[in-house]
Amino acid sequence: MSYYLGLVQLIGIHTLLGLSAYVLMLTGQLSLGQAGFFAIGAYSAGILTVIFELPILPALLAAAAIASFFAFLVGFPALRVKGLMLVVATIAFSEFVRLFFFNLSWRVPRGDIEVGPDSTNGFREIRFFVANGWSAWEITAFVWIFVILVMAALWWTDRSRAGAVLRAVGEDELAAQSVGINLTAVKVTAMTAGGFIAGIGGALYAHTATYVDHLTFTVLLATFAIAYPILGGLSSVFGTLVAVIFIQGVLVEGLRFLGDWRNIVFGLLIIAAMNLKPSGLFDARTAQVLKRAVGLGGKD
Amino acid sequence: MIDFVQNTVDGIMFGSSYALLAIGFTIVFGVMRRINLAFGATIMLGAYAGTWLHVHYQVHVLVVVLTTVVCTVLVGIYVERLCFHAVRRDAALASMVSSFVVWMQLEEVAIHLLPERTYSFPSLIVAGSFELGPFLLRGEQITMLVLAAVMVGALHLLLHRTRYGLALRAISESPRAAAYMGIDAAWVMLCAFALVSLVGAVAGYAILATDEQITPFFGLWATFKGLIAMMLGGMGSLPGAILGGLLLGVVEAHAQWYLGNEYKDLSAYVLLFAMLVLRPGGLLGQRILGREELAFRRV
Repeated sequence: MSYYLGLVQLIGIHTLLGLSAYVLMLTGQLSLGQAGFFAIGAYSAGILTVIFELPILPALLAAAAIASFFAFLVGFPALRVKGLMLVVATIAFSEFVRLFFFNLSWRVPRGDIEVGPDSTNGFREIRFFVANGWSAWEITAFVWIFVILVMAALWWTDRSRAGAVLRAVGEDELAAQSVGINLTAVKVTAMTAGGFIAGIGGALYAHTATYVDHLTFTVLLATFAIAYPILGGLSSVFGTLVAVIFIQGVLVEGLRFLGDWRNIVFGLLIIAAMNLKPSGLFDARTAQVLKRAVGLGGKD
Repeated sequence: MIDFVQNTVDGIMFGSSYALLAIGFTIVFGVMRRINLAFGATIMLGAYAGTWLHVHYQVHVLVVVLTTVVCTVLVGIYVERLCFHAVRRDAALASMVSSFVVWMQLEEVAIHLLPERTYSFPSLIVAGSFELGPFLLRGEQITMLVLAAVMVGALHLLLHRTRYGLALRAISESPRAAAYMGIDAAWVMLCAFALVSLVGAVAGYAILATDEQITPFFGLWATFKGLIAMMLGGMGSLPGAILGGLLLGVVEAHAQWYLGNEYKDLSAYVLLFAMLVLRPGGLLGQRILGREELAFRRV
């Protein structure tokens, strides 16, 4: 059972990661820096609960705030570049963060052992949940509260004027600008929001895994972050969730019986999915069909 | 002062291999407006095939070189068919993610071939080092520089003196106009992939022979160095790729000497970020910005 709960937690955390890229993609920005913000969130939250001994909730929010602050800082220079150049600029940022944590050593004595990030050996002692006797069910619920909150917030944003502004910038920047939308403000806001969501995800990840090191936050993680919204489609936040369940639940876990050859089949299936459903697994048509099936949507 | 010159010379020597990797990215970008993230892994798998023969059958070094090149080209064609030909024309992004996924595939195959962490890589020429006044030059590095110069010269001739080069340049100017002129874009792109794989294989071989070892991290390393060098010079620009590669090599060599080994890679990322902020199009690539934006409108 705990295995499945672990998987459910992982799906929740990766959904947050995917949603952080989703917000940016609504404005037409593609960032491979989400792994960097995720790493900042993970390390900050770990340092706050382990070294400063804060409770989980303030640590988590502070970590997300730190991550969003860095996203805000990165947002301004990154605005100067677009498209594939933004992709490579954000790869550079995320690798920079990874190398920073690769070199970061901050050990403090705690009882008869030392705790804290230990450069190449990683950050081992993030044991808040264990030390406070949380059960696996409680941790899972805790993770999913944040997933649901973020999804609800994004879903609501999409239905408000703010969502329309985001999508307008994503569709056509020139047109958006000509109706008086401030591109800089919109893009930096999206970047900051993405950093905040990725920071929450990272903080939760560090505490459920109890151990992080720089190898967790490679470009592989960043690619997963953008693969979820691409695969799920940008029509709604549920697309990202569906894609995470498809990749993490069905592909990664379901193909475990293939052993070492899993990655090969995995790759082919993702490419096939992208080709067969170009606008995402959960596009407008699928949503329509589903709505009709549960009797919600009328005729279009 | 002597240190400074020595570092600069070392940087240029090693930077020449970065330039070859960058050429691989820049040609694909110039023709297709897409990024092939699997480029490093392609080279790595080719080199692994060569190393596999070397480890298990102790074949001659020339056979290793040949296997590396041929396998890299074959893998390159596989990547093109799967991630670029099969993915819709207007989905540059899906291509990039697909090529990353294929990277995972290639790495998996390479690790199946040779499961250990490092293998020694045979060097073609055992060249010592010699001194020129106060400076020390390594034979492998000179070989690398000469190889790079020859490759660049050959590429230049191919692009500007043959019908194929003309077709390639036509497509990169305007795919639609090229199609009206009866140029078979699919075939040109397939050949372009084979061509950059060949260039990449040579660069990969030169680097690995200088390092005298191969690890599964080589794919990641080569992709990053090539991408950074291309961005520094300007996307889609051939002279830019060469300049970017040399610049990256020199900056890394200085960072390593004056700041220490752990700052070598950091300096590359800082340099790239600074370049993108100050001069987003790279050193020689301002012109391409507008076109790239058009290509990316529909992701």
